[in-house]
Amino acid sequence: MSLGIELKKLKRTGYFPAFLAGGLVAAAFPAIYMGVKAETLAPFSGNPVQLLMTATWQMSAMLNMLISICGACMMYHTEYANNGMQKMLALPVRQNAVFFGKFVIAAAALALMTIMEIAALAGCAQYWFTKNALDVPELLKTAGFQIIAALPTVMLMLIIASACKNMWVSLGIGVILVFTFSIFPQDNALLSLFPFSSPYQIFYDAAEKEIVFRHLSVCIVQTAVLAMAEVLYLKMRRCFE
Amino acid sequence: MSFLALVRVEQKKLRRSKIFLILLIPVIMMWIPGIINAGMSFDLREIPITPEKNFFIQGFMGMVWFMIPASLVICTVLQNQTERSNKGLIKMLSLPVGTGRLCLAKFIVLLMLTAFQMVMSIGAYYVCAAIATAVQDYNFILEPLYVCKIVCSIYAAAIPMAAVYLAISVLISSPVFSVGTGLASIVPSVFLINTKLWFIYPMSYPFYVLMTAYGKAAKGVYETEIAWLPWLPAAAVITILALAISCARYGASEAR
Repeated sequence: MSLGIELKKLKRTGYFPAFLAGGLVAAAFPAIYMGVKAETLAPFSGNPVQLLMTATWQMSAMLNMLISICGACMMYHTEYANNGMQKMLALPVRQNAVFFGKFVIAAAALALMTIMEIAALAGCAQYWFTKNALDVPELLKTAGFQIIAALPTVMLMLIIASACKNMWVSLGIGVILVFTFSIFPQDNALLSLFPFSSPYQIFYDAAEKEIVFRHLSVCIVQTAVLAMAEVLYLKMRRCFE
Repeated sequence: MSFLALVRVEQKKLRRSKIFLILLIPVIMMWIPGIINAGMSFDLREIPITPEKNFFIQGFMGMVWFMIPASLVICTVLQNQTERSNKGLIKMLSLPVGTGRLCLAKFIVLLMLTAFQMVMSIGAYYVCAAIATAVQDYNFILEPLYVCKIVCSIYAAAIPMAAVYLAISVLISSPVFSVGTGLASIVPSVFLINTKLWFIYPMSYPFYVLMTAYGKAAKGVYETEIAWLPWLPAAAVITILALAISCARYGASEAR
């Protein structure tokens, strides 16, 4: 029930068009990259999807995070505008249910975007390097890995958005976090496990270093811990408001 | 109402917004890895550059690529949110204030906020260079004239971008769309800076200015001279066009 209501709340905010547009822009990166650099890469041998991902995933991951931040801010902006949240406290609606409804939608929107990007990568690989057949199971694994790697970021951003009444404060915090983690060196093993930094990890690199399982489990645990923290926070906040 | 008074009113609207704090945090953040990795400034990877200039340029790289545009997006959102919350803009429309002038006043305040951030970043640079000097026992401090010249040129290069972001925030009334467009437009600039068409994309101007400074400091990394000819007319056209559109369309969705 709450999921349907959450979807309805997003109806006129332009939430889903924003994700679709972001996905299209990100999907254009590998195509533009190949358009500019096709000659230099012609003699390349190896996995073309991996090559394209190494070249463009950092930008795609960043775009995903930025759009997710905007989405999270928007979701709670509609709640706080005109004191909607206060009115909801008087209704038989659980705050947790609202939060997790939003999280499911945000995760689904991000998954949609990621799948679009991976499909674009595969399409470009097919178009420019026709020698390899498309390895569908591996592409699905890649998409799954990238989606799970981004979940802690989505969760943390929703927590920040739920905590700040003013939309641009949560937006500012989110943008600063993206910025901070993007200038920290990516090869640091510990830093790459933080939210806002874990989406940059590429499936193929992780597979080469054999850290796929570790990365995924850390991300899932982080998401669960953050979810519990949000439940606790919502309970605590009631006492102080 | 004189234009100066309008600007002062716009400044007052931002009084309790904590915007300066949000502008200060990235300025400090960008130097933390710089201090931690100050030793890396000596690792020149066969680029002919002095360590102190390497430190300065690497530190500012994240700032010009990401933080200046992102700060501009946040500032425009803030300016619009304060207007739109409690239907402030509709009330403004019933007052004897021209919407175009109002929009221009907002633009001036936006430029002031960016200027303030630039001053803070110069200050942060000197503090961090002093710390790095003490830690590494090597003089990282550059002469103020060089630093100020580059930061001022970065600031000037950010003006067309500010006009474009103002136009985006005016034209797109749904906040999630305007912010999303603004933030998404940052990402490709790192891409476009290496193509011949960088001058039609205002978000890459500050990055370009810093890269030419990098090219001057280290031969062969990037172009050493700023290509004024296609750039200056393109920047002027983009700025004027963006400002004209935003002044003409300001409050249009509310006036409907």
